[in-house]
Amino acid sequence: MITIAGLFTFDNFRYLFIGLMYTLSVSMISTIFSFIIGSIFGIIVYEKIPYFSKFVSISVDIIRNLPLLLIIFFVYFALPKIGIHFSIFWSSVVAFTFFEATMISEIVRSGINAVDIGQFEGARANGMNNIQTMIFVVLPQAYKKMIPPLVSQFISLVKDTSLATGIVLPELMYRGQIIYGQNSNYMVPVFVILAIIYFLVNFGLSRLSKIIERKMA
Amino acid sequence: MSDISMITFNNVEKYYGDFHALKKINLDIKKGEKVVLIGPSGSGKSTLIRTINGLEEINDGQLLVDGYDLASDKTDINKIRKNVGMVFQHFNLYDNKSTLENIMLAPRIVLKRPENENHKIAMELLDKVGLADKAANMPNELSGGQKQRVAIARSLAMQPKALLFDEPTSALDPEMIGDVLDVMKDIAQDSDMTMLVVTHEMNFAKQVSDRVIFMADGEVLEDSKTEEFFKNPKTKRAQQFLSQVEHH
Repeated sequence: MITIAGLFTFDNFRYLFIGLMYTLSVSMISTIFSFIIGSIFGIIVYEKIPYFSKFVSISVDIIRNLPLLLIIFFVYFALPKIGIHFSIFWSSVVAFTFFEATMISEIVRSGINAVDIGQFEGARANGMNNIQTMIFVVLPQAYKKMIPPLVSQFISLVKDTSLATGIVLPELMYRGQIIYGQNSNYMVPVFVILAIIYFLVNFGLSRLSKIIERKMA
Repeated sequence: MSDISMITFNNVEKYYGDFHALKKINLDIKKGEKVVLIGPSGSGKSTLIRTINGLEEINDGQLLVDGYDLASDKTDINKIRKNVGMVFQHFNLYDNKSTLENIMLAPRIVLKRPENENHKIAMELLDKVGLADKAANMPNELSGGQKQRVAIARSLAMQPKALLFDEPTSALDPEMIGDVLDVMKDIAQDSDMTMLVVTHEMNFAKQVSDRVIFMADGEVLEDSKTEEFFKNPKTKRAQQFLSQVEHH
């Protein structure tokens, strides 16, 4: 007789809950940083500044085409060899931030491209310089168009944090493994519980984006 | 009108790849002059007017606007744009801003005009173009003609020395055209601003302009006083063009 009653204890749920907090805090911090850095990258690439834009766009292309796990391992295992040390938590944040920033820079660049050229010309003819045109006229319209792809990017970030299991970040996925490691009978129910938690968080995010979109339309 | 030049073209050339869009343009437009630019489509009228505020760069020759050399690296194009407004065929209102904000934005951030004064001037201009009741509306809630009148008010709010109109009524429904032209006539009569208007509205040209420039195939073919142009067009191209548009 397989018994799984021992799985549903307060301690186990608390243990998973703290894992979820790790997952969410790494996601949120990385989201904020990657949004800022990704926007800056996207604008630089869009502006076609001689050499500099090319350099950023090549760097973005390289990072975008690497496996995320490689970047995580690189930050945690390789950077210390050249004297740059981060904790497990901050290694995860740095890796996710840079990877996500490259994705977001593409979203931002194409979002700006999707704004009608007349909006730029109207603002420029009205006496505004490049930066003022971006800040007051173009970016507000571009970000509005970008909400859906940005949210789906952040949802994949929440899911991708599970890769940090590889450097033993004690997030949700890792803690699930620890629990079923104690008793293999727990494996199926633990996976079901993890799936439900990931689903609820990400489904909630996508609903939220729909609401924001509707509010802004 | 004064004798001081506002816009001067000296042998200006413009290419799009192999296409020769402006051929050896020579023009001198004085401060306060009201000039209409006409010609068949594809003749380079829009390109020409767009070089004046640097939306198109010239490839050769010299273009002076309010004393600044546009081709010079030392010239700050933003300074010229501050003094030279433009009204577009497709309005180009800021879609994310209300009517009032469309008018107030550039004076606030470019001229640093105090908020009270900015608001007052913007409301006066909206009133002038007959849209004071639309101050809070977003651009997508306005008709084409209303959008264009807001766009004119937006340009005027910068109190420019020159105002360029790039086919301001071409995208409008026929019943909207009159309102926009009336606003433009008022401006032409009341102000000493230099006006350069690309248009197909011949009656407007006759009533308002001092001078007509006729272009075809990237060249200026005629440049004469309005009356003279409509009475005695010198070139065959201009005669043909006038007979075609006046039959409409």
